[in-house]
Amino acid sequence: MLRNFLIVSLLLGLQLASSAAAQTLVEKVQEHRLENGLTLLLVERHASPTVAAYISFKVGGVDESSQHRGVAHLLEHMLFKGTKTLGTVDYQQEQPLLAEIEEIGQQIDDLKNRPDRDEQELQQLREKLADLQKQHRQLVVKDEFSKIYAENGGVGYNAFTSKDQTTYLINLPANKLELWAAIEADRLQNAVLREFYTEREVVREERRRSYESNPNGKLYETLLATAYQVHPYRNPIIGWDSDIENLTLAETRTFLRNYYSPANMIISLVGDFDSAAALALIKRYFGPLEPGVPVPPVAKKEPAQQGERRVHVNFDAQPQLAIAYHKPTMPHRDDYVFDLLMQVLTEGRTSRLYRALVIDKQLVTSVNAYGAPGSRYDNLMMLSLAPRQDAPVGEIEAALYAELERLKTEPVSAAELEKAKRQILTSSLRRMKGNSGLARMLSSYEVLGGWRYLVDYEEQLNSIRAEELMDVAKRYFTAANRTVASIGREALQ
Amino acid sequence: MRVRLFLTLILIFLAGCGPLVATGPVRPDQLQFPPLEFNFPQVEKHQLTNGIRVFLKEDHELPLVDLSVLVAGGDIHDSQQQTGLSSLFAQVLESGGTLAASPAELEAELEAMAANLSVSSSSYSYEIGLSLHQRDLTRGLEILADLLRQPGFDQQRLELAKRKMVEAIRRKNDDPESIAGRLLAKAVYQQHPFGRYPEIAAVESFSREQLLRLHERDFRPANLWFAVSGAVSQAELLALLQEKLGDWQAEEPLVLELSALPPPPAGRVLSADKQIPQTTILLGHPGINKDNPDMFALRVANYILGGGGFNSRMMREVRSNRGLAYSVYSYFQIGRRLPELFIAGSETKAESTLEVVQLMRGLIQQLIDQPVSDAELELAKQSLINSFVFAFTDTHSIVSRKLRLDYFDYPVQYLETYRQKIAAVTVADVQRVARTYLKPDQLQIVLVGDSAEYADDLPQLALPVERVELRDDEGS
Repeated sequence: MLRNFLIVSLLLGLQLASSAAAQTLVEKVQEHRLENGLTLLLVERHASPTVAAYISFKVGGVDESSQHRGVAHLLEHMLFKGTKTLGTVDYQQEQPLLAEIEEIGQQIDDLKNRPDRDEQELQQLREKLADLQKQHRQLVVKDEFSKIYAENGGVGYNAFTSKDQTTYLINLPANKLELWAAIEADRLQNAVLREFYTEREVVREERRRSYESNPNGKLYETLLATAYQVHPYRNPIIGWDSDIENLTLAETRTFLRNYYSPANMIISLVGDFDSAAALALIKRYFGPLEPGVPVPPVAKKEPAQQGERRVHVNFDAQPQLAIAYHKPTMPHRDDYVFDLLMQVLTEGRTSRLYRALVIDKQLVTSVNAYGAPGSRYDNLMMLSLAPRQDAPVGEIEAALYAELERLKTEPVSAAELEKAKRQILTSSLRRMKGNSGLARMLSSYEVLGGWRYLVDYEEQLNSIRAEELMDVAKRYFTAANRTVASIGREALQ
Repeated sequence: MRVRLFLTLILIFLAGCGPLVATGPVRPDQLQFPPLEFNFPQVEKHQLTNGIRVFLKEDHELPLVDLSVLVAGGDIHDSQQQTGLSSLFAQVLESGGTLAASPAELEAELEAMAANLSVSSSSYSYEIGLSLHQRDLTRGLEILADLLRQPGFDQQRLELAKRKMVEAIRRKNDDPESIAGRLLAKAVYQQHPFGRYPEIAAVESFSREQLLRLHERDFRPANLWFAVSGAVSQAELLALLQEKLGDWQAEEPLVLELSALPPPPAGRVLSADKQIPQTTILLGHPGINKDNPDMFALRVANYILGGGGFNSRMMREVRSNRGLAYSVYSYFQIGRRLPELFIAGSETKAESTLEVVQLMRGLIQQLIDQPVSDAELELAKQSLINSFVFAFTDTHSIVSRKLRLDYFDYPVQYLETYRQKIAAVTVADVQRVARTYLKPDQLQIVLVGDSAEYADDLPQLALPVERVELRDDEGS
């Protein structure tokens, strides 16, 4: 799991001459829990007068029911639309219009999917909605959060929704920390989900851009929907197109009310501030929030895969190939072993698959391995390959599987294992440089069960022996546990 | 006495509550903030006796050292027949070993150290990056010196890099955004190096001798700029550099001519077909370079037009008000030497292609025709000024920025005066630069998508329409 992320614990091992300075960084992570359940992680860093501020909720695409696919992501968009005081000329005046827009919008949604719909009626309703939206626009102060943050020097004001979590982030000059607290606390207590039907269309455009017009996105989405049959990791975070265009304001509001509360909330601040003052600020602004209830765990379990699955997508692009194996997620011991296996397989030019498939056999131009699509539940080891022109897919697969077989029968050498461990630990150090990267990392791991996972990581990694790699390879690299997806103008030969 | 005290208390109470009663809670933008303390980080500059320049900033937070070497040269000097040679050169410099170590030996050693080596080529330079653990610095610098002075350009790795490049050419039509970017560059720059893309036959003909000649031409001490940051002391670094590179004999710095840009073509539509449900739209025409004093006013103007994210007019009109796109933006590529492009782009479903093109053109025209509001100007300026501090958050980018400012001969006080120059921009300046540098009649309008959905609408643009056929093997 930790590949590509920071290992704080590395700094505890003092083989590194100057890790003392870095070690103090670990000691600097201050963890607080407010009375209402909110988790706060603080790291003071005074190198530049800036702060990275992250708010994460332990809720994402995986927590949606099949009736509400895409709602976590749509809500994330809607939370940029303002509050009762921001983004509006006068909320009192706006309210009846918002209610009317919702009423007409819902009528359109109810009507549009009916086979016996009256097209003329539908058209009239749409015109009415457009007219109401036009009136409403007179009362909107466009994107006011964004405006206030920008004029105060904020950068990277954004949010992202993943399978496991939803995160809102910004970087601000250090003297503007209270501005962030005030805006975010207002957003959590007084959000107004205005301009909903327009934003739904924006999300449909986002889907066309990232999946329907993009071969990588399309292949990834197809692979997940094939490798998983039961668990919601199979669903695209953004939703399918017909999901998005039928999501309702009521569902979106319910999702906000159910999950965006301190019980599911983590704030990470990294940068130039005084911790005591920051803690007091957070208590003042976020302390009054109602605790809420934790997001319930996903009950659906993916049954063991009982046979290879294969799928192809016809798409106007050169071929690509993706192969996935089911695996357990962190903190299962096997997950640490997979971190090493993926490193040995594809990291760098001396890695096994790069050497065999790119340099020696020249069947593909690139090969990458990574864990996906999330980490709160059992996930996949994915391999992405870009075949060379006319390289027979059968040969590519055969060469790839031969390397996986070799992992089952020959232990990796001590040097190879050592290299993999060192690479993981050093690349993690590199990720620690920026405030934003560190805040993101702390937030992400806190969502997944606690940032202290990072503290034990190096010890776990270093305790893994070559035989365990063989054992894990034997148990998971089987044809029955495999899904093979391809994309291109015609089915691959 | 008592009465007076009582009254006073009431007055204080009312005074304290007054604003709350009148306007509700304090709006976040009405909070007061302490001033920001910011000092420009210092970067050490040195020069070795043979002319190599070294920029350094120590940073001992983590046990890592980052080195970048800029070497004068780059893509712009590739001749027509050699388009792609500099890029291949960079790839084989990275992967082809040195005279002291075979590619496999070098890779094994670097990977055992968990070091990252990368080489790239851009318009005016090559850049070599090496990220190391502090403990491996001496050996790392030795490898870097070997790469600079006696690269291997291993024949087999050359062949492999050529084949990868050919594969990349075959994949050039997979992604609509890169297709549109290529068509725009070709349309504006024509035969100029900025408009050229490598072709399969040329790449297949490239030889090791050509790489060696390029190395001999460009790699010399006076052409080298080092940027170093991380856990290393100045004295140690300079001693190491002197040891590994000090005996490299000085030669005159190389001066290469830059090909002149062609005259701008007249406005037209370039339409390429791809079976996808969304059209990628890219508008562009020639722009400015960094020596243009209007650069600051233009930054402000572009922020308002399409550079300010959600605070820009394009985002407001195309995305937020109409739901027609997820992404819509504009920017001036500020050329380091030659002027580069003004670009505006978006993606929208095939049916709304023309609507979005018209909206974007309309907003460009509006910025020319009408003065911006004071509020828009103020927001753009405040945003650019107050976010300036983020240019100095990462130690290595602080050092490499200093290096680039030096290499490209920026004015001495460029960074120090940046905020004042933005602050001085007026509403009249914005309109003046919009009139001077936005040229709606020169816009090349590139559309990549399912043109059957919008071909009938295109005559409304009143521009010549050229269809471009996309072929993976050759041409466009």
